[in-house]
Amino acid sequence: MTDLSPLSNQTPTPAPLWRRLLPPVLAAGLVAVLGAALLSPSRNATDGGPLVGKPAPDFTLESLDGAQVSLAALRGRPVVLNFWASWCGPCREEAPLFRELSEQRGGEGGLAILGILFQENKEENARAFIREYALAYPNLRDPGAKAAINYGLTGIPETVFIDKAGTIRHVDRGGLSRERLNVGLEKIGVKGI
Amino acid sequence: MPLVFSLVLCSAAALTPEQAARAEAIGQNLRCPICTGEPITQSTNDLSRDMMRDVREQVAAGRTDAEIYSYFAARYGNFVLLNPPREGVGLLLWGAPLAALGAGGFVLWRFLRRRTTATPAVTTAGEEDDPYDPYLAEVRRRTRQGGEGA
Repeated sequence: MTDLSPLSNQTPTPAPLWRRLLPPVLAAGLVAVLGAALLSPSRNATDGGPLVGKPAPDFTLESLDGAQVSLAALRGRPVVLNFWASWCGPCREEAPLFRELSEQRGGEGGLAILGILFQENKEENARAFIREYALAYPNLRDPGAKAAINYGLTGIPETVFIDKAGTIRHVDRGGLSRERLNVGLEKIGVKGI
Repeated sequence: MPLVFSLVLCSAAALTPEQAARAEAIGQNLRCPICTGEPITQSTNDLSRDMMRDVREQVAAGRTDAEIYSYFAARYGNFVLLNPPREGVGLLLWGAPLAALGAGGFVLWRFLRRRTTATPAVTTAGEEDDPYDPYLAEVRRRTRQGGEGA
């Protein structure tokens, strides 16, 4: 009769170890890459950026009061740069914090706060904003958004924290809360509010 | 309208036609930072227009393409470059598909070579016209033997 036993006796030789391990190792590698990509700070992170740790780009801009303000002249003082516009909602929400900050930490030799207008179409609106929140620090015109581009700005509000040596230590995008403001202040050696 | 706009920009930065073409080419490779994958030459928002004006001014000032690209990359990250340099992780992204293609080709080549060397053995084992199925060949051979025996 038909006997197929010789065929069934041909037991397949087991695949080498590396071959059996290859698929799970590949899968684990893919998962690791995916995990690293998910956990690494994304481009949409609200802080950090390529300018952190770099010297703050210098600028000389005219304030709404007509005074020339240069960043280089503030060397030796910690500086907080706030890019804003009157049409920006989160800028309104954080404005009281800046007033409080300038009252508590500003003044001769202390923290310098500068506002830089970003795409402010009507200067009168900016003046009304400054009056409304009683902002007592210079707010500067930035024609052609030159300073904004120099600071890699993508939107407002954005706040740049510069230490006494003129190095950018922290950048915060989006409306500041008191906690987020204090994180930046701490990095430039200024006590939080 | 875009023509009028570009003419206005040209006159503002006083570029020669060659410089204007260079600025345009550089702008084509710079991503609008607040759009989705659009170069600043095509995007119509204010920031892109300001960036394009910046590019024209830098071209007029005699800066090289590489200097202008690195100016923007230092501020916005390599993300702003639509044709980023092939180094670091970028090199991995470019190289990985080629490496995968090479590895796949090698595996395919080895598989095909093994099959062609295995084929003659099967044809001698099987007598029929389907040499690719050794099991079927074995069954046929044995059923034929069985039939002859019976």
